[in-house]
Amino acid sequence: MTNDSRVNDYLAQLRRALAGITLAEREDIVEEIHMHIRERAGDSAVNVDEILAGLGPAEELAQQYRTGLLVQKAKHSISPLLILRAALRWARTGVEGFVVFWIAVVGYLVGGGFLLLALLKPIFPQRTGLWVGPDAFEFTIRTGVLPVSTPALHEVLGWWFMPVCAVIGSLALIATTKLLQFLMKRFRWRTPLAREVVATGTLTAGWGLLT
Amino acid sequence: MAKQIPVAIEADSSEKWEAQMRKGCLEMAVLASLWHGRLYGLEILRALERDSQLILSEGTIYPILNRLRAEGLLQSQWVEAEAGHPRKYYELTGAGRQRATRMAEMWTEFSAGLGTLIEPVLKAARKTARDNGRLRKELLL
Repeated sequence: MTNDSRVNDYLAQLRRALAGITLAEREDIVEEIHMHIRERAGDSAVNVDEILAGLGPAEELAQQYRTGLLVQKAKHSISPLLILRAALRWARTGVEGFVVFWIAVVGYLVGGGFLLLALLKPIFPQRTGLWVGPDAFEFTIRTGVLPVSTPALHEVLGWWFMPVCAVIGSLALIATTKLLQFLMKRFRWRTPLAREVVATGTLTAGWGLLT
Repeated sequence: MAKQIPVAIEADSSEKWEAQMRKGCLEMAVLASLWHGRLYGLEILRALERDSQLILSEGTIYPILNRLRAEGLLQSQWVEAEAGHPRKYYELTGAGRQRATRMAEMWTEFSAGLGTLIEPVLKAARKTARDNGRLRKELLL
């Protein structure tokens, strides 16, 4: 394989691995890496294999770009989908990211669950509600063969159930989003910026969070 | 009784700590390298290596520059170069200058405070080194 074809192959891999980033941004990144290779290749003491090794595998390089940009967008976004995607990518990089991802999952499930209950109330008015009894305090929809209501267990909110669930669900979604945005900003410097940093004479590899 | 830490583990922990410390300074170092004007990626790498002993792998610097640009701290521009191919130059934005200034101030305050704290540690280390040197001389005589 010639030098040119190795470089073209690397750039094609990088372009593929950057899928999901806008076309203009992707081409800009590929062009910059291409020019870096040309610049370094101008130094006769360095061969193409060394240059490509210095850049690291194309997939890994693309992953650094994608993570940085996604977390950056998520910090200013209120889209749960975008925030979840950023949290999922962060989760792959270390323990803190994993914890953040589970906060996102639990928070959005709780919020989404309450909103769903609010929507189900008009469809199943007798079975959806806040059920209170000697051993129960449940925001739920009661299904199956159980009697919907018993003298000991009864629904207390009536149609107020809808706005109450809508408010609790919305608050849970907003609180989760704000908390995640705060965590992403707070740990901005901990996002995986560096594939490796080489201290003087010491190679230290490691993606891990920047902590 | 003090717990004995195996030397290999201690050395490994020190290396990790040093790497984490360097990673933490990376953003400040990149912003500071652009303080005097625009540079392209390879120049930034060389400036970091020359001035701060931060030697990054070549694949590391570009995603960092891209993220800092997305944060509005840097702006970039393709410029036709004499080298025969264009180069993408980066320069600090107003927000980037503010961030670099703030980081430099925080770093100075932090390191000054820490310097006072670790001074006794360094004094003790220097004294031990002197004592060891003196003992070695005596043994040689």
